[in-house]
Amino acid sequence: MKTVGIIANPISGKDIRRLVAHGSVFDNQEKVRIVRRLLVGLASVGIERVIFMPDYYAIVQRAHKGIHSPIEIASAPMCAENTQEDSTKAARLMVDAGVGCIFVLGGDGTSRAVAKGNAVVPILPLSTGTNNVFPYMIEATVAGLAGGVLTSGQISVEEGCFRSPVLEVLDDDNNLVDIALVDAAVHTDTFVGSKAIWSMKQITQIVLTRCRPDSIGLSAIGGQLHTLTPQEHRGLHLILGPGGKRVLSPIAPGLIEPVDIALEDHLTLGQSIRVDQSPCVIALDGEREVEVKRGAHVHIRFSDRGPWVVDVSKVMALAQQAGIFVQPR
Amino acid sequence: MAQKTYMQALNDAMREEMERDPNVLIFGEDVGQFGGCFGVTKGLFDQFGERRVRDTPITESAIVGAATGAAAAGLRPVCELMFVDFIGVSMDQLFNQAAKMRYMFGGKTTIPMVLRAPQGGGIGAAAQHSQSLESWFMHIPGLKVVMPATPEDAYGLLISAIRDDNPVVFLEHKMLYGVEGEVPDNAGPIPFGKARIHREGTDVTIVALSKMVYSALEAAETLAAKGISAEVVDPRTVSPLDMDSILTSVKKTHSLVIAHEAVKIAGAGAEIAAQVAEDAIDYLDAPIMRVGAPFVPVPFSPPLEEAFLPNAEDIVAAVEKIRS
Amino acid sequence: MTIKKKTMVQMYNTMYRIRQFEKKLQEFFAAGKIPGFVHLYLGEEAVAAGTCAALNKEDYITSTHRGHGHLIAKGGDLKLMMAEIYGKSTGYCKGKGGSMHIADVDLGILGANGIVGGGGPIAAGAGMAIQYRGEDRVAVCFFGDGASNQGTTQEALNLASAWNLPVVFVNENNGYGISCPISKSMAITDIADRAAGYDMPGVIVDGNDVVAVYEAITAAVERARKGEGPSLVECKTYRWRGHFEGDACTYRSDDELDEWVKKDPIPRFAKKLLDDGILTQKELDKLNADIDDELAAAITFAEESPLPEPADMFDDVYA
Repeated sequence: MKTVGIIANPISGKDIRRLVAHGSVFDNQEKVRIVRRLLVGLASVGIERVIFMPDYYAIVQRAHKGIHSPIEIASAPMCAENTQEDSTKAARLMVDAGVGCIFVLGGDGTSRAVAKGNAVVPILPLSTGTNNVFPYMIEATVAGLAGGVLTSGQISVEEGCFRSPVLEVLDDDNNLVDIALVDAAVHTDTFVGSKAIWSMKQITQIVLTRCRPDSIGLSAIGGQLHTLTPQEHRGLHLILGPGGKRVLSPIAPGLIEPVDIALEDHLTLGQSIRVDQSPCVIALDGEREVEVKRGAHVHIRFSDRGPWVVDVSKVMALAQQAGIFVQPR
Repeated sequence: MAQKTYMQALNDAMREEMERDPNVLIFGEDVGQFGGCFGVTKGLFDQFGERRVRDTPITESAIVGAATGAAAAGLRPVCELMFVDFIGVSMDQLFNQAAKMRYMFGGKTTIPMVLRAPQGGGIGAAAQHSQSLESWFMHIPGLKVVMPATPEDAYGLLISAIRDDNPVVFLEHKMLYGVEGEVPDNAGPIPFGKARIHREGTDVTIVALSKMVYSALEAAETLAAKGISAEVVDPRTVSPLDMDSILTSVKKTHSLVIAHEAVKIAGAGAEIAAQVAEDAIDYLDAPIMRVGAPFVPVPFSPPLEEAFLPNAEDIVAAVEKIRS
Repeated sequence: MTIKKKTMVQMYNTMYRIRQFEKKLQEFFAAGKIPGFVHLYLGEEAVAAGTCAALNKEDYITSTHRGHGHLIAKGGDLKLMMAEIYGKSTGYCKGKGGSMHIADVDLGILGANGIVGGGGPIAAGAGMAIQYRGEDRVAVCFFGDGASNQGTTQEALNLASAWNLPVVFVNENNGYGISCPISKSMAITDIADRAAGYDMPGVIVDGNDVVAVYEAITAAVERARKGEGPSLVECKTYRWRGHFEGDACTYRSDDELDEWVKKDPIPRFAKKLLDDGILTQKELDKLNADIDDELAAAITFAEESPLPEPADMFDDVYA
């Protein structure tokens, strides 16, 4: 049975950046409509079953209820705890269930949680969050087609996907504490609090897996100086402070700040940075996540052990070349 | 001494109080440039601007509640309900919040707000735009309820209402807006709880509320022609209610008729009658009679509405009945 | 956001005060010492503590039937509160309000409220007064998930937004309106989703994380003070006790409660303060002991205070 997974985060797009910046309030009704379009796309290329992450809004069930879809849906065998661990756990269970692709509705944070539970099955992240660098801002119907043809084997993973680099946060004993897909930042707070970050004054260092000049969030800072695609597996380390360049960067939706960069350095695979500052908080993909106690240290390692990510444009281009959507009259 | 309409008197009272006290402000539906549905706030927007004369959305709970909150925070809001009938939408904010806050909080706050609302029938506005609801409000401790009949009283009582530190429901009869009368210059406030004796008499006391004061005066003329001397008493406020003046009059005339436009059953007249019965039954030579509307919603069609509204003839009939 | 150590300690202090106060009430109610009924705030302490830590004394709040936490967090005097709940003449309201009607206008507390959704329009009115006088204040409206379905709340959100009033709507989503879970009372699950309809920011925070609440409210308050208008902050939390004391909670499972008790905001924050060296264990113990002593004094005050005389009922109806 051709099966895909859907992880739709009910809490994405609602953090404090609606107050401190001008982020959109991404309501759950909109996520339901996106999943409906996704289901339509999936059904049209023969996907028969969806395993979904249970969530308190029941996004996928509501979406399914609203349309006459031939697709059968089933919850991943878990209880929603309404924390980000739900996404991680659901991803693991979906891998176990043999799904061909995992669709992720959320922002960078949600994708990160999914990547923690899965580096095997390709993920197709759709933007329903705040700072969206990792997920695609594309139409869900098309995403459904792309993920669907990939799952049905018409296009191979090697052809249609790329392996994302990742930043691994390690403790002094080299244990993996957490990961980031796009950016890791050293923040002077000592608490996680409302998670989001919005003030550059409190950030001392940034490590990036990718950056582009048209990006948003912390990767936009590096993006004013370099372009690093996720396919090329080259990272960037920025130490903030006076003495170097100053760049104007869109650090959050509707929030643009000048950022002083004292030092910049490229990173190669396997290279790591030791964070000497403590106490501090390590922000991962725009959210304060790891509290580093006084006297403790962490390392941030640039690695290629990230998730497989569907390259939607490439899959659709390959489908075009193969004439997958050309039908006999 | 100036000749003014009831509406102009109300408008003058608001203007003068706003000139006197910067904490006074007006808000309600269409009270701004539009001047109010009946035109009572006309010109105030031009004089004081939007900050002090503010249109609200059609949102009666928020109007009454915002007045309550603003009053608790130290302003003296005068808010308008377009028709008293709309109080149903906002009743909680009036009777559970505004009226009770001071008491529930052990006297530690004041709610100096005025809720102006036109009531009464006569314009073919039917059941949801024509009621007289004073008995609802007078039943609630914590509210003051004012029902002026004349331009002079409208002016003086509204000034008192604005200066009062309690929530005041100020009920204007919409058929009186165009009535003219003398308003003394610089007349100032008229205290609550003091009835006005519109006409002295010796044979029967007619207690009349709001527009029924005019019917009572007309009835008194008719009765005079028949040799019956009627005293017309207007309590002007039903909470507080000037029972002293009513009792004094009843003890003199030994008979009582109460007239109001509200439905007779459980109306303000029932309360007045009961208090007179409790305190002065020995002075009465006849049963107390009430003149009020029948126990039906206010009907629409002109002949129905006309039949519904109590009038001078009903008062005359009531007096004649108890004297026969 | 940098948070001063003093603020961190204050937030802990507030949460612990509320916790101990409510636990005493739970005990006294069961023992039949308290007339009427009480709605306890146990489990939701972080919302009131985080919110009020972001406010100044001059700022207004409107509270709810579950209001003890809000009042304590805004600076309410434990003695006067306890005496009021006991129905004593020395209480905040001289025994005329009780648990659901405590107010202290001098502290900006425009009253707890026995009517679900009653506070919204009043908060809008306070916001209107602030705007009218051009003051540097805000009004906070605490309201529950149940109240979010009341017309009054929607009217208040609309008026605040239409008039750009300095009001912060703090939703305490504890999942239940009395016995009715939100799944039965609304088609959506996030109250914050409603903010978009009023063109105001709507955010969700972990209502059991006092720092998260503080950060969000601080940002919302800052917006309001700058004249940028109202905001809606939804705090996801849970009430440990029933709707009122004596409610058998047949409508929810023990497992659900247990899950939320694990997220208790107080030990979680105490650990943080200790780990970060903001307080030593000794200082924490002293702080707790001082609050316990203050509470004991409040109880003694309440118990030893006289009941009101019947004639007192006639006071304070009118100003």
